[in-house]
Parts: sequence; C-alpha cells; structure tokens
Amino acid sequence: MEKVNYDVVVVGAGLAGLMASHEIASAGYSVAVISKVFPTRSHSSSAEGGIAAYIEGNSDPNDNPDYMAYDTIKGGDYLVDQDAAELLSYKSGEIVRTLESWGTLFNRQPDGRVAVRYFGGQTYPRTRFVGDKTGMALLHTVYERTSGLGKVDFYFEWFAWELIRDDSRVRGVVAFDMRNMVPVFFKAKAVVMASGGMGMLYKHSTNSYINTGDGYAMALRARVALKDPEFVQFHPTALYPSDILISEAARGEGGILRNNKGERFMARYAPKKLDLAPRDIASRAILTEVKEGRGFPGGYVGLDLTHLGEEYIKERLALAYEAAKSFAGIDATKEMIPVRPAQHYYMGGIDVDITGRNPDLIGLFAAGEAACVSVHGANRLGSNSLLETLVFGRETGRAVVEFLRSYSEPSSDIDKEAEKAEQTAYDVVKRESGVHFGEVVNKLREVMWEDVGVFRTEDGMKNAVSEIMKLRDMAKDTYVLDKSKVYNTEFYNALEMKNMLDLALVIAVTALNRKESRGAHYRLDYPKRDDENWLKHTIAYLRGNTVEITYKPVKMTKWKPEERVY
Amino acid sequence: MSLQNEEMEVIIKVKRFSQDKGSWWQEYKLKVDRFTQFTEALRRIKTEQDPTLAYRAACHMAVCGSCGMKINGEPRLACKTLVIDTVKKYGSNVITLEPMDYFTPVKDLVVNLDDFYERMYKVKPRLYPSEEVLKGEAEHRLKPEDQRMLWKFAQCIWCGLCVSSCPSVRNDPEFLGPAAHAKGFRFLADPRDTITEEREKILLDSAWRCTYCYMCYNVCPRDVEPVTAIKKTRAYTKLAKVKSPVIETGEKHTQAVFESIFESGKLEEAKVYLSTYGVIGSLRDMIYLLQSGKLKYALVKEKPVENISEVRKILRGE
Repeated sequence: MEKVNYDVVVVGAGLAGLMASHEIASAGYSVAVISKVFPTRSHSSSAEGGIAAYIEGNSDPNDNPDYMAYDTIKGGDYLVDQDAAELLSYKSGEIVRTLESWGTLFNRQPDGRVAVRYFGGQTYPRTRFVGDKTGMALLHTVYERTSGLGKVDFYFEWFAWELIRDDSRVRGVVAFDMRNMVPVFFKAKAVVMASGGMGMLYKHSTNSYINTGDGYAMALRARVALKDPEFVQFHPTALYPSDILISEAARGEGGILRNNKGERFMARYAPKKLDLAPRDIASRAILTEVKEGRGFPGGYVGLDLTHLGEEYIKERLALAYEAAKSFAGIDATKEMIPVRPAQHYYMGGIDVDITGRNPDLIGLFAAGEAACVSVHGANRLGSNSLLETLVFGRETGRAVVEFLRSYSEPSSDIDKEAEKAEQTAYDVVKRESGVHFGEVVNKLREVMWEDVGVFRTEDGMKNAVSEIMKLRDMAKDTYVLDKSKVYNTEFYNALEMKNMLDLALVIAVTALNRKESRGAHYRLDYPKRDDENWLKHTIAYLRGNTVEITYKPVKMTKWKPEERVY
Repeated sequence: MSLQNEEMEVIIKVKRFSQDKGSWWQEYKLKVDRFTQFTEALRRIKTEQDPTLAYRAACHMAVCGSCGMKINGEPRLACKTLVIDTVKKYGSNVITLEPMDYFTPVKDLVVNLDDFYERMYKVKPRLYPSEEVLKGEAEHRLKPEDQRMLWKFAQCIWCGLCVSSCPSVRNDPEFLGPAAHAKGFRFLADPRDTITEEREKILLDSAWRCTYCYMCYNVCPRDVEPVTAIKKTRAYTKLAKVKSPVIETGEKHTQAVFESIFESGKLEEAKVYLSTYGVIGSLRDMIYLLQSGKLKYALVKEKPVENISEVRKILRGE
C-alpha cells in the first residue's frame, strides 16, 4: 500500500476541519485534509440562520458573555461543560471579527456594522448572519483563506476509512482515492477528526446525504469513546415532506407556529418564549399537536411568516422562501409553510476536552459536530454550531501545534495495521452474493426514526437495539455489485453503512440506558430530568457487539442546575 | 392548509458511462410524488434498484453545488428540480439524465471538475485585506447596499453548470469563464480588498472575450448572473494602465456601437465593424464577403429613426 507522511491529517473539510488546518499550516506544519467531497460541498454549507456572537460595542448594552454562556448551559439542560460554554462565549466576538476580516459578507446595520437578530433560547439577540446562507458564506470564506495559504494539501473525494493506532497513540489514517479505489496510508503525528454529523441514520433529516457518521465509527473502531451519544437533536421546522431545513431564523425574525385551528400553540408549551423556545421543546410541541389531532393531514403544522411582509421575507429569509416555493409549492409571503421535526444535529461525539484533545488516544483530536466538547449538552441552541466549528476548530488547531512541539518519534511498526484496515474494506467487494447496502440502510433509518427519535420508550429502544443487531448480522453478507474501480460509489456506500450501524448501536444502547428526560433525550416513561442520578456525561466504547458505558462528571463553574422553563 | 399531492410513475433514462464500456442508456421505472426531487429519485434508484449507478449529491437544498447534470437536455441542479414539474414541462413521463457538457465524463453522471477549479483559482478567489484589519487593529465597515451587491456575486456554489454551457469557454482558451468572473468581480468590487490592480490584470482582458450569449445567466441555479459581473468588470477598463489588443478592440467596438446608435438610432453593422477593426482589417474581411456574395448585405445604408433627437437625449443621460 502506498504511504505518505504528514505532520497532521485532518479528516473533513467543513468549517472545523478547515479552521484547524489553517492554524496548523500557519504554524509551519504539513497538513493533509481528507474529505469525501470538494470542501465547499461540506455540510457546513447548509447551515442557514447564523452564528452567535457577543461583540464588544456591537451587542445589546445589557448583554455580556456570561449571559451567553448561561443561555447555552440552560439550553443544554445543564449537561454542558461550563468551562467550554464560557470559552465559546468569550471568544465569539473575536472569531466573528476574524471571519469578517477574511471577507465574509455579514448583513449590515445602516452604519456599516455587523447586524444581529434573535434566535431560540437567547436572552438578548446575538445571531450574526448572511441572509439565511450563513454557513455557506462562512465555509467559502474559510476555504478561500485556507487554500490561499498554499500549504495545505487537499485530498478531496477521498474516503477516510480507518484510524491506525499503536498501543497508546494515533499513527495515521487509511483512506481511499474515490476516483480509482487506491488505498493510501496517511502516516501522521496527529489526526484531527472533523468529519461532521450523522443525519443519514434517520429517515427524516435535514442533513446532507454525505452525513453518515464516518468519523464517530472510525473512532469507535479505534477503541475511542463517544461522549453523550444518546443526544440527537431534532429541528422543529423541516419543510414537509422533503425535510429541507427552514431556518430557525424564520422564528427569530417573528415567524409563528400555528396548528390546524390557527392557534399559536407554543403559548401552551413555552408561555414566555413562545415560538422562540429551544428546539427540543418546539419539536415535541409540534408532534404533540399532531398526535392530538391539531396538525394537518400527513402530520405537520404551519409556520406563518405572512405578517412579515414580502420584501423582508425575500431578503432575510431568502432560502426559506425559495425552499417553500420550489419544494412544497407554497408562497410564504401569502401562506403558511408546512413544517415538521426532522433529525438535525448530533450533540454526542468523540470525547474531547476544551482543547479538542481525546483522552483515550494520544495524538487524536476532534472538532465541530464530530466532537463532543461539550458545549451543547443535551440540546444545542441555534447559532451555536457555526460558532463551535470556528472557535473549537481554531482551539484544536492550536492544541495540535502545541502537541507537535513536544512530539517524539515512535519506534513501533504499524504498517501491518494499515494493511489489515485495507482488507476489512475490501471484504465487502470480494463476496459474490448477499444483500445490498440499500436494504440495510433503509431499514436502519426507519428503526432509528421510529424508536430512537423525538419520543423514546423502553420498549421502543429495546426493539431498536435488537433490530440493529439483526442488521449488523445482515451486513456481514453485504456485497458490491459494481466491479469497476473508477468512482465506485457503491463500495463507499457499503463502507458508510458499516459506519452507520456501529454508531446506531451505540446511540440506541446508551439512550436505553439513560433513565430520565433531558434536553433532546425525551422518554415518555421517565418524563422528568433526574439530576441526582443522571447529571453526568455518558462515555461509551464499542467492543464487538457490546457497548461499554461509563460516566464522567459535568464540569461546573458558576451555574447551579435549575428547572428549565421558558 | 393541506398540500395537494399526486403520484405518478415515471421512466428515468440515465446516460451511463464507464471507461471500459463507453456510454449507454439505462431505464429506471419509479413512482414519484409531487415533492420528489431528482436527487431523491436518484437515491431511491441507487438504494432500491441499481447500486452501481454513480452520481454526486450532498445538501439537496441547492447550496453545495454537487448535483449539476442535464435533465431533459437542460443544465440543472438535480436537487432543485422536481420530477413531476419536469414531466409537466415536457409533457412526457420519460425523462433523460445526462452528465454536464464540456467536462470529461468519469462515470455515469460524475464528471471531472479539475478544469473548473483551475479557472476559479486563477482569479485569486479570496479577500486580501489590509494588514491592520488582519491584525484586528482596524474594523471593516461595509454599507448595507455594498453588502447586498457583493453578496449577489458571492453566492456562486461552484457547481460548474455555467462553464459547462458556455460557448466561449470552448472556443477561447484565454477566457476564464462565467463562474470565475463572478468570483473575480465579487473581490474586485469589494472595498475591503487591497489587490485591485492585480485583479484588473487577471480579469480585464478575459472580460472582453465574453460574447454576451447569456447562457450562464439562464442556467445559474443561484441567480448569480455571471454575465452581469462581466459587464461590471468591463467598466473597470477605463482604469487600466496597459491594455491588451482584445481590450482595445472591445473598447473600440463599444464606442462604435454607441456612435452608430447616436447617429442613426440603429446598429449599422458595417460602420461598427469598420470602426472596430479599422480599414485594413475590414478590407480583408470584405474580400471574403465579396467572394461569398454577401457584401451587399454589409453595405445596406440605414436611414436614421424618427425622433433621433430623443434617442440622443437618452444616450446623453438627459
């Protein structure tokens, strides 16, 4: 197998991966970025509403970063590490200014300063935005900037498959060139996992087709833990029926959720915050309305923007307007947009501290949605994910540079490990008959949606675990019909399927294990939050078919848990 | 509020390609509803019928630019196109999907975009801010109207559809192509940028190589209007210190068109040609015209329009 050497391999070319790469390359180290897609195709491009930031001199005069940290902690139902939330808040203004200086075209106030709007769960408005294509605008800026350094090697349309490790430390990544299926061992002193989320595990998701949880599964197979894997966020307003995201900005700008009687039903669920309640609360409210017969046929409610006026909608909510028009045939200036919840974000992820460092494996780092720092706890506030990718992408990059400065060369040989990884991938190609990836994946997505979704029960999750076990058995017999080596997407879909199954098992087992309701993890059989027994992070390892669970305390600084009312 | 749905069976004919077998058409039968996007149709074909089919797709909401292809011959994003809308538009439930033109096919609907990326990198697609701003010692302020204007051209998603359908790209290796011009102009016009002169060197000559056919304008899924960016870039020519022959010819042509309309209210092609290419160049071309018997058309004398004074007022901006 061909081998290449880098100081650092970054898996993923979204905002977190690019930001980390920028920092590492700027310090003079060699960086390879491996991505399944060309960088601007990364899922960061789909983020819409904005990036939260407290900007000195350009925020509400009553606001301060401590309020921002508090909102994040409360929003996350106190499962947030408070040191992480503080770091996120205190660096928010600076990172937005950096991105602005690199060229991001933030919307402006009349005096030329960066504009701001409200998002769910914010005490004061803090969301900075570029229309409702903020993620795309930021991603293009960071890609343009990072590629302009001329120091980062981009391996795009390459499939990262396995982390290679020795007894204690990470040694590189085995990846395939998707154009010709040629495997390459990328040897590295450090690896940054910035591989994004996993929406394709769910039948209904706002995520890109490429979000198959590859990074989480790579970590699990390298005997690395995921933190809080049971916490899956559902976005309340996905367009019915295509599940295209209708940005939370729609509610931030004054959009109102209405049931089939025209009632503003959020008054029942969050009497103070109404439609600006956080996502977990709004998602459950919508599904409750539908279940109790106050939804529309097919299972959705209306998002009413009509009172905002045509001009305002078309400028500030252009993508929402366009999506409703193109994909549901609805003119949002005149009619309500049909919406329902869909999987949106993964709060769980590779266990790391606030520098992005993983405790299980020396030299392994993670950032962005792939990581669990944890700043989102049990439920992420809107506008915090773009912020996290940039702040912690940069922090992680800096920590990697620190790590490299004290690095010593290992002596053990790990080429055999890399060859083993190549073999496990090729096994799916060599079989002559069996099932196709599509059969397994479609079934998995249904099971996860039905049984490990917005509402969870003991029976449902037990069923999910046993179904996933069966699918994992079935997957041993998958084979690839396409025998060509050129751009064989079937081969990569089969590998993605394996990744999805590994992750699904960990999610279902840890969700079954947490006997309380907290944030996005809502159990009908345990509807209350239980701080006495469950104010702790889940730490999960996958060993074969077994999920091993331990716990870790939540880091507290200034804020004591209180009841979460809005 | 209840959404009107409908279901329909369609036949999707995909032009497939592999390096070993060449190209062939393959048909897939599929039930779709009123809301089915082509990306979803393709996903279903791949997971339920034929896993060997290759295509690119990611965001399915027209911001990542992965899924450019030809749908019934039209350059489109697959995600931004609904199957039933296409059936209605063409009056047939048989639909063809083909890879984008111009780029080299790799497999099925996947094409090699290296040429596209090279074009984009040529225009230095990034802001070069001042040192003070980079160090955080100064702050950019941007007027809301400047933000709006620049954002229009910044929305290019690198899908490649405009380049795939641009005739000038095929004929003129020196032409950067529509997407690169949109990107180039977005930074050329940004008041925060510091390398304006270098950008002019990169963009101006190429801008005069566009023929204004408007294909890029027609196919762009984000309404970036690269052709408008090119027009606005040409306006920077008056600042250029060194002008290439293409720019000089272009400027003469623009001036000649202006003069022709100012004098007669009409486009007198022979006169415009003469002013643009000069006597010697025009004489050479006239010999060709004479040989092909078309000279008489070139020498038609136009009468000025009535109310020519009104036309002149408009041209003077009165």
